[in-house]
Amino acid sequence: MSGSEKPELIINGKRLDGRMPNQLRDIKIETGVIKNAVGSAYIEWGRNKIVAGVYGPKEALPKHVQDPEKAIIKCRYAMSPFSGVEDHSRSGPNRRSTEISKVTREVFENVVLLEQFPGGEIDLYIDVLQSDGGTRAAGITAAAVALASSGIPMSDIPFAVSVGKVGNQLIMDMDKIEDNYSDADMPVAISPRTGEILLLQMDGNLTKSEVSAGLSMIKEAGETISKIQREALKAPYEKILERYKE
Amino acid sequence: MQKIVVPGEKVVNTPVRIENTISDKNGTYACVIGFFDDARKILIPLEGVWQPRSGDTVIGIVEEDKGTMLIININAPYKGLALTKFLEADITTGDTIAATVKDLEKGGSVMLLKPTKLQGGKLISVSPSKIPRIIGSGNSMVKQISDGTGTKIIIGLNGIIWLSGGKMDIATSAILKIQEEAHTSGLTDRIKKMVSNTKVQ
Repeated sequence: MSGSEKPELIINGKRLDGRMPNQLRDIKIETGVIKNAVGSAYIEWGRNKIVAGVYGPKEALPKHVQDPEKAIIKCRYAMSPFSGVEDHSRSGPNRRSTEISKVTREVFENVVLLEQFPGGEIDLYIDVLQSDGGTRAAGITAAAVALASSGIPMSDIPFAVSVGKVGNQLIMDMDKIEDNYSDADMPVAISPRTGEILLLQMDGNLTKSEVSAGLSMIKEAGETISKIQREALKAPYEKILERYKE
Repeated sequence: MQKIVVPGEKVVNTPVRIENTISDKNGTYACVIGFFDDARKILIPLEGVWQPRSGDTVIGIVEEDKGTMLIININAPYKGLALTKFLEADITTGDTIAATVKDLEKGGSVMLLKPTKLQGGKLISVSPSKIPRIIGSGNSMVKQISDGTGTKIIIGLNGIIWLSGGKMDIATSAILKIQEEAHTSGLTDRIKKMVSNTKVQ
């Protein structure tokens, strides 16, 4: 595909990978993938493959970062060098990964009950093994499951997903090609219990009515994502319960 | 009825005060992954971290000897401290000790009382949320294991267990089995079978 030419992203009402405009990619979540972590999760969101691990709570170090009233969260989002074909998948801290680490941290500062661990620190690591657009949303979704599986108290399990625009059509959960050539991209993280918006970013232009239409699409898709998250959390325990069912 | 709940899931339709939950005007919601008992209205966490309370027995490893004070790693967000002038035995850096929590100090450390040195044996680490099940009601579960295998067991509420003597590997696998199946019923009988079967062999 030559760089300047914009490909047709929606043909006969269907997207390039055959999805409908409001259809999510397939999502699969597994917990307990890292034995040394307090909590962990692995997500396959379309062709995205992401591992999230939680460590702590432990004493916050260096000492000057401690908050005597609550714990702090340290978050690191990183793409593996082999995760994608483009430049931004270079490993190491860069502008993009620093930004995503920050917005992810702010999502979880609003749901984790940090005041229960004064002076403590919770480490959150999100590693992208394979990327195909929408990794920050998938990373937040996986990290939420990892945190919940660690037993760290939190008020809710947030989910995140992005909505975009191609021409005049709003499309849900864009992949890499759609992301590169779309007219707008808006990742959103929501706490499903209260409906609070924990993350809202936007690239490109959306009108006021498109933003509210996009948000209602996200809330609808969120029910599906939340259900997958909850099932993934319960699955290992239910499997053992099943074993001893009379 | 008992069911597994995850954070954010509604457990009661009215705001009530239950441990490990949060409430607003519409109801009460779980804030940890756990087992909710509808009849007793309690939420038993399936995973979790240990919060020091005075009187808890803990097991730790001495990290540093500061002369007047020992600094002890107790597998928690806090450091354990023990005053050396009250020591009964000679405890130095690297020793494993069992101690009782006196209180949580202001600076974010835990003051420990009566540290005793644990010699030999081995340590295993389990999820602190499973410790009550490993102890059992009135020490029944742990007594069953130590009677069956002849192993001496000391349980630290911080998630570290010290084992010594007897059939240690069987005791270890029994404890790990309890950790894995803590939320199932009939566990006592299965553990009983496990430790008594091995006695015959």
